[in-house]
Amino acid sequence: MTAATEPAWLAPSSLEEALALRAERGDEATVLAGGTFLGILMNQGFLAPSAFLSLGRVPGLARMEADGELRLGAMTTHTAVERADAVRTGWPALARAFGLVASPRVRNQATVGGVLADADYASDPPAMLAALEARTVLRSTRGERSVAIDELILGYYETCIEPDELLVEVVVPPAPERAVYRKFRSRSTEDRPCVAVAATRGGTRVRVVVGAVAETPQHFPDLCALADGEELAPGLCDEIGRRYAERIEPMSDARGSAAYRRRVTAVEVRRALEDIAP
Amino acid sequence: MSAVGLDPRVTGAERYSADVERPGMLHAAFVRSPHAHARVRRIDVGGVPDGCVALTGADVEPLGIYGCQLKDQRVLADVARFAGDIVAAVAAPTRVAAKAAAAAVEVEWEELPAVFDAVAAVAPGAPLLHEHAGSSAQDAVSIDVRPIDGSNVCHRFLIRHGDAERALRTADVVVEEVYRTPCAAHMPLEPHATVAEWDGDALTLWTGTQTPFNVRADLAGVFGLPEERIRIVAPPMGGSFGAKTFVRLEAVVAALARKAGAPVRATLDRTEEFLTLNRHPATIRVRIGARRDGTLVAKELDCWVDTGAYADCGPGVATKLGYAGVGPYRIPHVRVDSLAIYTNHPPNGAFRGYGAMQSVWASERTMDLLAGELGMSPLALRRKNLLRDGDRFATGETMHDVHFEECLRAAADAVGYEQDPRGKGLCVLLKGMQTPSRAQITVERTRVGYVVRSASCEMGQGIRRSLRLMGAELLGCEPGQIEVPDPDTDTSPFDTRTTSSRSTHMMGRALELAVADLRAGDGERGTGEIVNEGGLDPDTGQGVASSHWHQGAAAAHVTVDEHTGAVRVEHLHAAVYAGRVVNREGAELQNEGSMIMGLGTALLEGVLFADGQVTNANFSDYNIPAAADLPRRMTHDLIEHEGAEVHGLGETALPPVPAAIGNALHSLGLHVTELPITPESVLDAVDRR
Amino acid sequence: MNVELTLNGRAAVLEARTDEMLLGALRRAGLLSVRETCAIGMCGACTVLLDGEPVSGCLTLAAQVAGREVTTVEGLEGSPVQRAFAEAHGFQCGWCTPGFVLAAQRLLELNPAPSDEEIAEGLGGNLCRCGSYVKIAEAVRRCAS
Repeated sequence: MTAATEPAWLAPSSLEEALALRAERGDEATVLAGGTFLGILMNQGFLAPSAFLSLGRVPGLARMEADGELRLGAMTTHTAVERADAVRTGWPALARAFGLVASPRVRNQATVGGVLADADYASDPPAMLAALEARTVLRSTRGERSVAIDELILGYYETCIEPDELLVEVVVPPAPERAVYRKFRSRSTEDRPCVAVAATRGGTRVRVVVGAVAETPQHFPDLCALADGEELAPGLCDEIGRRYAERIEPMSDARGSAAYRRRVTAVEVRRALEDIAP
Repeated sequence: MSAVGLDPRVTGAERYSADVERPGMLHAAFVRSPHAHARVRRIDVGGVPDGCVALTGADVEPLGIYGCQLKDQRVLADVARFAGDIVAAVAAPTRVAAKAAAAAVEVEWEELPAVFDAVAAVAPGAPLLHEHAGSSAQDAVSIDVRPIDGSNVCHRFLIRHGDAERALRTADVVVEEVYRTPCAAHMPLEPHATVAEWDGDALTLWTGTQTPFNVRADLAGVFGLPEERIRIVAPPMGGSFGAKTFVRLEAVVAALARKAGAPVRATLDRTEEFLTLNRHPATIRVRIGARRDGTLVAKELDCWVDTGAYADCGPGVATKLGYAGVGPYRIPHVRVDSLAIYTNHPPNGAFRGYGAMQSVWASERTMDLLAGELGMSPLALRRKNLLRDGDRFATGETMHDVHFEECLRAAADAVGYEQDPRGKGLCVLLKGMQTPSRAQITVERTRVGYVVRSASCEMGQGIRRSLRLMGAELLGCEPGQIEVPDPDTDTSPFDTRTTSSRSTHMMGRALELAVADLRAGDGERGTGEIVNEGGLDPDTGQGVASSHWHQGAAAAHVTVDEHTGAVRVEHLHAAVYAGRVVNREGAELQNEGSMIMGLGTALLEGVLFADGQVTNANFSDYNIPAAADLPRRMTHDLIEHEGAEVHGLGETALPPVPAAIGNALHSLGLHVTELPITPESVLDAVDRR
Repeated sequence: MNVELTLNGRAAVLEARTDEMLLGALRRAGLLSVRETCAIGMCGACTVLLDGEPVSGCLTLAAQVAGREVTTVEGLEGSPVQRAFAEAHGFQCGWCTPGFVLAAQRLLELNPAPSDEEIAEGLGGNLCRCGSYVKIAEAVRRCAS
């Protein structure tokens, strides 16, 4: 599907220029980061942009810095995160989550900012970033705000990003003691996940986020709190898993029915907790 | 470093139908029905821009109907019988413009009741898709088509061998089960692509097809032309597996090109591929009766085969499915009723295995159920009943060149079945080859060697290389000195079609005769023809089903995660009787490729529908096996014997894979009857155990 | 728009709409090894190297490659990887082969001696319906040091 006249190609060469264009055009100019998701929508006829706002020439957006906390620029590719020594040593589960996305080709092109702004329910990085308590930095000509993942992602392919805002950076706090990312595929090794679980543990405090089962990453602090002050024994891992399974309202699709997703959620949450138990 | 001399497939220089360009060529797009069953009341092409050409029902009204076994298809549907049926077409200077123009066509519909299941389609009160199922088609067909008038049954195939009903009543043990296999997509990476060009009343088509002479014959009927005025050129295909058989786009693209007065190319996008030709879903009930000692006495098969909106080669598939479901066993009393049934789904047609996978799944799973009832090893039960040389099959024909025992033993040994059968399953099968059929070939001397002309179409199975290797051996030259041009109905001699794993076997023998003919003559030119005779009585299934049988077996060793139902195939082995291997790498690739496609069938694949709409029409929602999906160990045998005939094997290793895996699960107490075997279905089986 | 780039080692200009993918632009420029197949970046048959890294031609806007280097299999001119695929006969119909060759090339650059698992994982995004994976892996192993 294509617009009758060729879409405008806006390629700002500074962040200020990009933000000014965002303020001026809002969502009438489709933001282009890596372009994999946009390409799929366009090829399938779901989107025919009337203008592109390419971030490809904006300097400084692909920076990665690690000094206690990890700061990932929005234009950092998945491959860059997957391969970065600092991430592999400091946040290994995050490197793994980024490295499990799709294929090498997609990872070479898709970006940290893009995967969050797209809010694809089956994407791996959002669940892991949520478990790691990462925050996104949204900038506009009006200023800047810091938004947690669960505030950012509102629903299927829906975020809280305003029409004049750009997601410019993701900030990840120092990694907790243990972290794991599990991706359960019910069909091909290349399939989108049926159930995904990101889990972290600092002392006896655990955070479990279930992805790919519902429109947003699923995190239930009250269920995680069952682990507070407790030894993360198999029985407790099992109980938290069962309760997560009861609490979620999963979807049915080609990868599994809602009932099946529930059962696998219980298993995968249990296994994730067992993985990070002391 | 240079790419010179490297195979064009590795350099990217291979050219397919989608690459064909003709001067002044326009691009086609199709207007497809969103409804599963609806009559076209009115078509308004007012929105189609200037510079585009629209083809509607009025344009094709005078044209003939077509169909390879039953003539039940029109160039454009006046009644759409599936969601996706083409009711109009547009040609424009670019593909993008054509799509936009097609989207501008408005259609007024009268919706009709629809039916989406083969069993439901033969129940009283089911809506009828075709008023009159037509009469048996001529020449290119191999079987008598037997529709049941006034029903959705476009063909019924029967085997009446002995008295199965009576024999079952007196058998010591009878087991019965019902199985289901889903619709599946061939998923060739290259989509369907066809270019049509008229020169006066002469028509040329460049089209990816396995069946150039069938297409020519059907188009001659459509346009009322002598066959000689139609030329089909068949470039190599980027995969087909049966998808590119018989008339698919050729009639509508030719009609569009004639109206446009310009060449027209159509290339389908991936979503459209799911609306073109798929694999027959089947519901199969199996009953087997045996004596206490495991001797099989009777078998009954009832098969409801969903052929979709148009028959295509559904009659042939229902027939092959019917007799392959008997299995390679001595069974004195056999009844088979196999019905090809219309439903409001996209048409189903040739798919690697041609019905064998569906009935082998049902039949071989039931053998293991029977073994369980008898307290016998599944291996011992099979060995006790396997056909040997000189035995008669359920069609009454005498079996010769029989190697089932050898294939089964090789498969069982490969996974150590006798030492420890836990988590392991077996399957042995027989599959027929297109009978009757005719293959002609010519050889001509050239300055640098020879040119071999045959209508065998290349789709990755390696027929070109096989012909070069066989030719080189016969002619005493290098394979590189033999040119094998693309099939062209103007210059290639007749071949029935490139299906059924018949080409190396038939063309190889024809080539021997052609070379002998060349040597007997002036050494410049030779021609050879091989015909295989046979056929089955449509009311009894007696006669000669296949002049030449494809024989094989598979064994699988699996482990199961009983918390998630995930199945891991630790070892998959296929043993295929090859007789004599001509093209070793090609044969290995075909075995491996068949096994991998069988793995997809077993564990991953199914086209999903909601009210007749395909809901997973893309590479993400429909999964085919990737490299990391392969079993931990995957091995195979190409069994050869000194002095043996070349045996076709392009499909043999596919059908036994699902049953081997299903039987492996059965050995763990997990009983599954439907494909694909999903982790969810395994978890259900764990719950039921 | 006119997109200036380095294409198979030479300066080139691709004419393309701003909303057109690289795949279509390359095919119009005669590079027919890049093939339209799944349109969603799953199969790898339209793989090209962009600044040396594999990407999907169907998901990359032509405009995105301005000033960058694009390599298709036509630009390899008989590389060791190509020869290995030819010798191991790591193909059947050939449609997916250019994508595999480019993916394998990059895999071996990053990991000169990949294990079987690493090969399967590294080539995971390239699909072959003919099922040539066994011989494709052999081709890669032939090039491994």
